[in-house]
Amino acid sequence: MRGQGVSHLSRLELQILGDNTKMGWGLLAPIRSQTVSRSLLYNRRLPHSSFTPYFFQHFQPPSGLTLPSETMAKDMTLLWGSGSPPCWRVMIALEEKNLKGYNHKLLSFDKKEHKSEEVMKMNPRGQLPAFKHGDKVLNESYAACLYLENQFKSQGNKLIPDCPAELALMYQRMLEGLTLHQKMIDDITYNWKVPEGEKHDSAVKRIRESLTAEIKLWEGYLQKTSGGFLAGKTFSLADVCVYPTIFTIFRFRLCEERYPKLAAYYNRLKDRPSIKASWPPTWLENPRGEDIMKDI
Amino acid sequence: MAKDMTLLWGSGSAPCWRVMIALEEKNLQGYNHKLLSFDKMEHKSQEVLDINPRGQLPSFKHGDNIVNESCAACFYLESQFKSQGNRLIPDSPAEQALTYQRMFEGLVFYEKAAGVIWYEYYTPEEERHDSALKRNKEALATELKLWEGYLKKLGSGSYVAGKTFSLADIIVFPNVAYLFRSGLSAERYPVLGEYYALLKDRPSIKASWPSEWLQDTKGEDTLKDI
Repeated sequence: MRGQGVSHLSRLELQILGDNTKMGWGLLAPIRSQTVSRSLLYNRRLPHSSFTPYFFQHFQPPSGLTLPSETMAKDMTLLWGSGSPPCWRVMIALEEKNLKGYNHKLLSFDKKEHKSEEVMKMNPRGQLPAFKHGDKVLNESYAACLYLENQFKSQGNKLIPDCPAELALMYQRMLEGLTLHQKMIDDITYNWKVPEGEKHDSAVKRIRESLTAEIKLWEGYLQKTSGGFLAGKTFSLADVCVYPTIFTIFRFRLCEERYPKLAAYYNRLKDRPSIKASWPPTWLENPRGEDIMKDI
Repeated sequence: MAKDMTLLWGSGSAPCWRVMIALEEKNLQGYNHKLLSFDKMEHKSQEVLDINPRGQLPSFKHGDNIVNESCAACFYLESQFKSQGNRLIPDSPAEQALTYQRMFEGLVFYEKAAGVIWYEYYTPEEERHDSALKRNKEALATELKLWEGYLKKLGSGSYVAGKTFSLADIIVFPNVAYLFRSGLSAERYPVLGEYYALLKDRPSIKASWPSEWLQDTKGEDTLKDI
C-alpha cells in the first residue's frame, strides 16, 4: 500500500504511517514533496490542507466519485494549536465522524498567533480552537463536538448513546470534564498567570488539593463504570472531550501506579485511530513533559 | 415521568435555576424537589452526597439516572422529552450551531460574573486583592460588551441564539438576571436590558423565579459601576 516518496520520512513518521495504513484511514504526517528535517516538521507552520489522507494520495477514487465526507470536510476550517486539549477534542471528533480533509492551520501560542487578525475574525475571544463549517462558527470545543455528532449522525462512529442510562452518564461526565480541565489549568498556570504581589502559598496548596481530589474522583468513576469508557461500554463524546485532559495530566507525569484505572484508560485509548491521528505534533518529538504532577 | 425525578436545589444558584427552567419548558411539573440551604451547609449533607459526591447543587435524578451538572441535565431532558413541551435545540444546522456555541459561551459568561459577584465567597480573606477584583471586573465588562454585541446583531426581540427560545437562553438568562439583580446598569447595557425584560415574564422563568427576589425586589449594587 505504500507508494513512492516515503524514504525521506523519519522512523517515527514511518511508524505512524505504518500503524495508520493498517487501518486504511486516518490523519497522517504531512506528505511533502521534498525532504524536511524533523525539527522543521514540528516547529514550522503547516500549509493549508497538508494533512491529507494517505489513502487519497495513493488510491485515487474512480473518477467522478467524491466521497460525501470529503466534500463536507472541505467546507470546514480549523485554526488550532498543538497541545491544546480543546483543539484536540475537535480533531478527535472530526476523525470519529470520518470528516477528513478539512482545512486547518496550526498556529503558535508562543508567538501569540492566537491573537492574530485571522483568528480574531473567526473568534473575537482570540482563542483556539476557532472552527467554521461554511458560515457556522463553533469556537467552543464542546459546541463543535456536539454539532458534528448531531449533523453527521449517520457517518463515522456514533458518539451519543441511545440508551438513556448511558446517555445520562455521557452528558454528566462530559460536563464534569470541564471542571477537571479547569482545575488542571488553575494548577499548571498559577505561577505565570497570577501577578507576583497576589501570589499566596495557601492558594497554591488549595488549588493542588482541589486538583488531587478531582483526580481521585475520576479514578473512582473509572473503577465504578464497567465497559472501559467514561460512559460505559462505548466510546462517546465524554471520551472525546475528557481524554485530552487526562492525557495532558499524564504528560505532566501523574503517577500511573497511584491511579491505575486512569492510567489503563489513558494507555488503552492512546491507540484509538482518531486519537493517534490527531496526536499533538509537538508532543511526538517530546512525549514526556515536565513532572509537575508527579507528587499528586 | 416527573414523579420519578428528584431535584435537590438551593436558592441563589443559577445552575439550579437552569434545571428548573428546563423542567418547566418540557412540561415536567410535579417533579419531587427539596430546597436546601447553602448557609446551613446542607449541600454537604449525606442526602446530597448520596446523589452527588461533589456535595454541590443542583443534584438531579431521574429514576436511576443521575445528572448533576446543570447543562448535562438540560441536554438529558431535551433528548429524553424531545416531543413534549417546547423544542429547546433547533434542527436547522445554522441555528443549532449558534445554540451550542452560545450555550458554552454562557458558561464562560457565568464564570466571569461569579468572579465579581461572588469574589469574596470564593476567595479566602487573606488571599483577596483589590487588584484581582479590579481585573475580574474588567474581564466582566469585556464579556458584557461581547454579549451586548451578540444580541444587537440578532435584532430587537431576539433570543440569545436567534428567533426562538432555546437551551442557550436557559443557560444564559439566569446569569443575566443575577447581573441586573446585582446592580448592573440597564442604561449601560440596553440590549441586555431588553433581553432581560423579554424573558422575565416567560412562564417557565416566572414559575421558577427565586422567591426571595419576590419579597425583596431591590437587590445589591455591586455591579453599578461596571
